[in-house]
Amino acid sequence: MIGTSKTKTLQRRTMRNRFQLMDTILLAILLLWTLVIILPFINVLAASFSTPKEYMDSPLMLFPANPTLENYKTLFQDGRIWTGYRTTLTILVLGVPLNMFLSTSVAYALSRPAYPLQKFFLYAILFTMLFNGGIVPLYLLMLELKLTNKIWSVILAYGVNNFYMIIMRSYFLTIPDSLLESARLDGANEWRILAQIVLPLSMPIIATMILFYSVDRWNEWFNAMIFIRKNNMIPLQLVLRNMVLEASAEKTMMASHSAMAQSTFSTGIKMGAVIVTIAPIMCVFPFLQRYFVKGIMIGAIKA
Amino acid sequence: MENKAKKSRLRGFWSGMKINKQVYFLLLPGMAWYVIFAYIPIMGLSLAFKTYKAKLGIFGSPWVGLLNYEYVFRDPAFIASLFRTLWINAGRFICEFPVPILLALAINEVRIGRSKKIIQSIFTFPHFLSWIVVSSIMINVLSHNGLVNSFIRLWGGEAVNFLGTQGYFQPLVYITSIWKTAGWTAIIYMASIAGIDQEQYEAAEIDGASRMQRILHVTLPGIRNTAIVMLILQVGFIMTTGFEQIFNLSNPATIKVAETLDMYIYRVTFQSASDFSFSASISLFKSLINFLLLLGADRLAKLMGGEGLF
Repeated sequence: MIGTSKTKTLQRRTMRNRFQLMDTILLAILLLWTLVIILPFINVLAASFSTPKEYMDSPLMLFPANPTLENYKTLFQDGRIWTGYRTTLTILVLGVPLNMFLSTSVAYALSRPAYPLQKFFLYAILFTMLFNGGIVPLYLLMLELKLTNKIWSVILAYGVNNFYMIIMRSYFLTIPDSLLESARLDGANEWRILAQIVLPLSMPIIATMILFYSVDRWNEWFNAMIFIRKNNMIPLQLVLRNMVLEASAEKTMMASHSAMAQSTFSTGIKMGAVIVTIAPIMCVFPFLQRYFVKGIMIGAIKA
Repeated sequence: MENKAKKSRLRGFWSGMKINKQVYFLLLPGMAWYVIFAYIPIMGLSLAFKTYKAKLGIFGSPWVGLLNYEYVFRDPAFIASLFRTLWINAGRFICEFPVPILLALAINEVRIGRSKKIIQSIFTFPHFLSWIVVSSIMINVLSHNGLVNSFIRLWGGEAVNFLGTQGYFQPLVYITSIWKTAGWTAIIYMASIAGIDQEQYEAAEIDGASRMQRILHVTLPGIRNTAIVMLILQVGFIMTTGFEQIFNLSNPATIKVAETLDMYIYRVTFQSASDFSFSASISLFKSLINFLLLLGADRLAKLMGGEGLF
């Protein structure tokens, strides 16, 4: 009796010890990974608030001793950032409602009980996920529609994201049809049912999708690079690309240390531009976080 | 008899359409968008067998048969870019694929309670940034005076030119890709781990399975289907290999080893005297191979007993 209970506690203790060792290792890995993700951001933030002298003297810097706003002043006086913000906000304000209008109407229509050609429409949409024309015919289409160098080319080129649409459809499928049936008997048409019954019942998924589309619009640059060639109409991401990547590409060609030293001050301005570009994403991220696991769970099952 | 059945089915079809008239109105704007901005470009790939005349437009240009492909397959830069794309992607399967699974297992196993949420948020954040932002951050961290080189110098080493050396480009692609997306993909695996029946763990524990055995025999088989879906999706990108990433990470010093198929298409279409039918023939080739590989991978997954995509 006593013997067995003793061996049991002994067993338990060795097990717990082993668990603790494994937990420590796993925790160390996760902490290391967290640092690898966070440190570059802190470094960028610190560089954007530091003077060139301080940046040169303490390259391992994660916190500037004498923070300065000089870099941000120069950045905003330059004006390109404002152009980028204006263009990106225009694309976002006009584009996201269009995304939502097209996606909700298609997702709702495809979530209705079976009707003729429903499967055909669904497969026609899914086919575009497997096979697409690519950028070349799309560019020629924009040329023929006379949309190049217009903001509408970027807005219209991204209409429905198939993944998001499928997630919305699976959400709409969970709404019991009996709720909609009474409205239908009262003579409401489908658009009205969508707007007055389905949307209010689907607020969590609608909010998520607005955030997802907004982030996509915020990060959009490739279509704009192809369709828009006017410098006063480029979105924020391309402004950042012009300021940081293209300037640095020239710099990597000059390996000499003195050239590096001279151009260091611009590092602060560039990193300021990075911070200004990601700041809005950081602000909406906590809200994104709340829903996205649910979103991808449905997406992962359906995909 | 048969004729009558056909007729009544047809009548059912029409009456079904009439009853659901309003649903078609719902579909109208969305389908119009798909036709104009997805299907017209797909049909525009017919340019592969034409010679593009700006005045005549995509659909008015004259047919030339397989002439474009004769030029395409004679271009050594095309062949090189094709093999480079496949080579980089082969590396992606080996380097990038396992990382999210390991991360998901680690997050799932470690007992840290509420901090799990914080760790998840940090891991997924880079996914929501564009490759332009990520490349800018990487340039800061990896430059001559950046964080990494400062560490190296602190330990007595020599600074390394990570961004401007051709040999470092491919590892750079894998590492930055893992940095940006592994955390996000890990969350997808975690969702699938959360879906595993808890009773299986209890049964394994009663049978005396150790923690490692439970991971190997319960958790891993439980996420097998998700892993297969992720693999199939990766096969679907085998001909693309992340244009946005490579376009922003490469620079004049590394462009030689960075010209993948998409970079090649971009260069011949938008950076030199553009021949749109030439570009379209490469795009069609790319899309077609992609499509066939995707269907093949799906079939293979099903043959191996998985669920597949469709």
